[in-house]
Amino acid sequence: MIDRLLDSARGAVDNADALWRREEQTAVAFESGRLKAAGISEEAGVNLRVLAKGRMGVAGTTAPKPDPKELVARARASAELGEAVELAFPNASPQSLPPIPTFFDRTANASLAELIRMGRLLVERLARPDCQINVSVQREVADTAVGNTAGARGAYRTTGIAVTADLTRIAGDDVLMIYDQYVGADLPTAADLEALVRSVETRLAAALKVVTPPEGALPVVFTPAGLAAVILPLEQALSGKTVLQGSSPLAGKVGETLFDERLSIIDDPLTPGRPASRPVDDECVPSRSTALVERGTVGRFVYDLETAARAKTQSTGNGRRGVFGKPHIGYTNILFRMADGVPAPTTDLGGGLIGNIADGLIVDDLIGVGQGNVISGAFSHPVGLAYRVQRGEITGRVKDAAVAGNAYDLLKRIGEFGRDGRWLGARWSPSLLLDGVSVARRR
Amino acid sequence: MKDRLAQSLKQSRADYTEIRVERTWSSAVAFRGRRLETATVSEDQGGFVRVLNTGCGWGIASFTSLDELPKMVTRANELSRAVRLDEPIRLADVPAHTGDAVLDLDGDVRGVALAEKKKLLDRYNGAMLAVSDKIVDTQSSYRDEVSEVWYVNSEGASLYQLRPEVVVSGTAIGRRDGTIEKGLESIGLRKGWNSVQDFEPQFRVVAQRAVDLLDAPRVRGGAYPVILDNELAGVFIHEAFGHLSEADFVYENPQAREMMTLGRRFGKPVLNVGDNGAAKGLRGTLPYDDEGTPTQDTPLIKEGILVGRLHSRETAAKLGERPTGNARAISFRHPPIVRMTNTYIAPGTKGVGFNDLIRDIKLGVYACGAFGGQTMLENFSFTAGWGYMIRDGKVAELVKDVVLAGNLFQTLDRIDHIAGDFTWNQMGGGCGKGGQFPLPVTEGAPHVRIEEALIGGDV
Repeated sequence: MIDRLLDSARGAVDNADALWRREEQTAVAFESGRLKAAGISEEAGVNLRVLAKGRMGVAGTTAPKPDPKELVARARASAELGEAVELAFPNASPQSLPPIPTFFDRTANASLAELIRMGRLLVERLARPDCQINVSVQREVADTAVGNTAGARGAYRTTGIAVTADLTRIAGDDVLMIYDQYVGADLPTAADLEALVRSVETRLAAALKVVTPPEGALPVVFTPAGLAAVILPLEQALSGKTVLQGSSPLAGKVGETLFDERLSIIDDPLTPGRPASRPVDDECVPSRSTALVERGTVGRFVYDLETAARAKTQSTGNGRRGVFGKPHIGYTNILFRMADGVPAPTTDLGGGLIGNIADGLIVDDLIGVGQGNVISGAFSHPVGLAYRVQRGEITGRVKDAAVAGNAYDLLKRIGEFGRDGRWLGARWSPSLLLDGVSVARRR
Repeated sequence: MKDRLAQSLKQSRADYTEIRVERTWSSAVAFRGRRLETATVSEDQGGFVRVLNTGCGWGIASFTSLDELPKMVTRANELSRAVRLDEPIRLADVPAHTGDAVLDLDGDVRGVALAEKKKLLDRYNGAMLAVSDKIVDTQSSYRDEVSEVWYVNSEGASLYQLRPEVVVSGTAIGRRDGTIEKGLESIGLRKGWNSVQDFEPQFRVVAQRAVDLLDAPRVRGGAYPVILDNELAGVFIHEAFGHLSEADFVYENPQAREMMTLGRRFGKPVLNVGDNGAAKGLRGTLPYDDEGTPTQDTPLIKEGILVGRLHSRETAAKLGERPTGNARAISFRHPPIVRMTNTYIAPGTKGVGFNDLIRDIKLGVYACGAFGGQTMLENFSFTAGWGYMIRDGKVAELVKDVVLAGNLFQTLDRIDHIAGDFTWNQMGGGCGKGGQFPLPVTEGAPHVRIEEALIGGDV
């Protein structure tokens, strides 16, 4: 498909690149403890970008047998209105791409019965008379091919599986929701599923008792899930696009030490076993890892081909595209970690960080993350799921409390890194103990 | 197409089969600052099959290649039979509707050159940039589509729907040194090209607001009497209450059912809430939902009392209630689930206006517009676009970072006055649930007063 399309484009336009992707998903859903539905989905589509008379245009279709000429004509019409840009299409050959495992036979070949078995195991282990449990298991197999008129080609297959568990407990007007997931390229082992069960159980057990929230500038442990509000501003600010637009507070700060010197943040498309890993990005740029922050110092922003061209730098291989629309910047796997190795692991809630807290919180979920003026780093959210810590122990769940702070200020001095580093989707991080987080309670 | 679908239905060995096929033509233009990001035309198409067998669960297949339709009907049946259920899934009865429902295209977007659409958006984007040199960045987008949807099921329903949609939206980013503020305008209509021609003043207003907010103080946190403007009141009722009224939240959960018992008091007698998928000409309006059920006006809260909820055929059967036409899917890629359409707080006393609501407030907050809202059932957080202090019964200074946080039950019960100045607020974007985003919905409300609500921020 890619070759035919690029052949069609050659001669009609100056340059072109294209992505073809086919995805097959199989999913089972347990609702309130019962298996309710099984489904499949099959989708294929192609996205074409052209440079015609120096201007960029795109076109996409999910038609099963697209006419290459029609698609090229549509992309050219788009280019007539498009902006001028000098894209440097890479010309990496398939042989030069980094060899990483993205396809796991066990995942691709898992039968429907096996997926159901996994889900049933979770449902049985998590069943409680006063709780509703929803579980889903979703497996994906995808084929991707990319190419351009400069001669680059890349093709790879990926597998992915997501197992989610969602527990709801309603007592009177008190609603408690606990969620966790396993996401990987390979099937979860028995130990992985056991960890998922334990994670939900641990948080449920600690949440049964509701206690009064504390108040003031306090030490707060943000779990890997709770960290989203702190990480999101950095993800936005480290994107080459916001830097280019002049809206990133980190623009012009490369080389400056703005964060705790133990903190490193890496974008890594080469981590084995992760569904977001791939040998080449969606614009034919070979994958490599990028140090966004290295030992507290701003390292590099992420770019796709277009933003790199406009910023007069190189793409970091973070081009992502769907069937429709033009390529844009996307992170792959983000690792948020202590620069010097990982200490011995724990599965304790709070990552082993609460021992020295006289009075504070563990924040596992905040409501409304992503609303408001995210990029400034300031956040203020009511807690979705949080626990009070007193004299080094969890004393219960708090409701009707809000936490506020500024990600840039808080990450200047990290109290401690947790020993519970883990993946959540495409992000790896431990819990972080941050000091001086403003905690307010509703009277 | 209908014949082709009827043919596939006949071949199905399942007890119940439904097929939905969509073909969507769309175009999109986007600006970032002065630069055009994209101008494209796209075509998307595919199908969805869902089947049910006695004693079994749902079998579902979605696909982009329509040539595969017969194979997919067979696959869906196999999947259904792989799911054994003790308690069978039942579907509430709905008369089998047939026919065509073609919404007014109001200037067919397929007949307008892409260059014209670029020109229109350039005008709106330019209007924001021209407001001040402090507007350092914008994000503007135009998107339109015409979607053809065919729906058939083995009970005899056979429908063809033509659904247009057009959305223009813009964000203006104001910056002075380290301070960054934004203003947001978004218009989404189930209409066509003719309906989006005259919005320049609105885009100018939001850009000016972004500039004004640069000098505005942050609101002081605390408990205040709060007036919600029409837009925020609409978003509030959708997020904080609407999702709880979706029956798939309660139908298999006895505790949730108890919490949402019909007849329970949710508010003072001034409060009336409903969802109306049949309202004329709104973005959330559809003649039929994605199970072929006609849409309707469903009262949810009447004079403060919970009186109804939103249903699919499955949730209605389970609870012994009637389907309300609220089973919706964002595309052929997804099954229909219980969703809102056009959700509203009904107007209060006629002639009662905003000034009547603030007259006796000594110190309060007037919260306007919505950057977003999220609910975790009983608890919610809403970020207003901007706000004003109310002092001695009058609107006073502009304030920023107005975040409302609270408990749903307490907050609904504290709504003590509702004005008569109802408006539908037709925004772009949409609602997200169960991985399906964005679903076109509309919210409508008058000005609403909450006698006391918590505003976040430094105390």
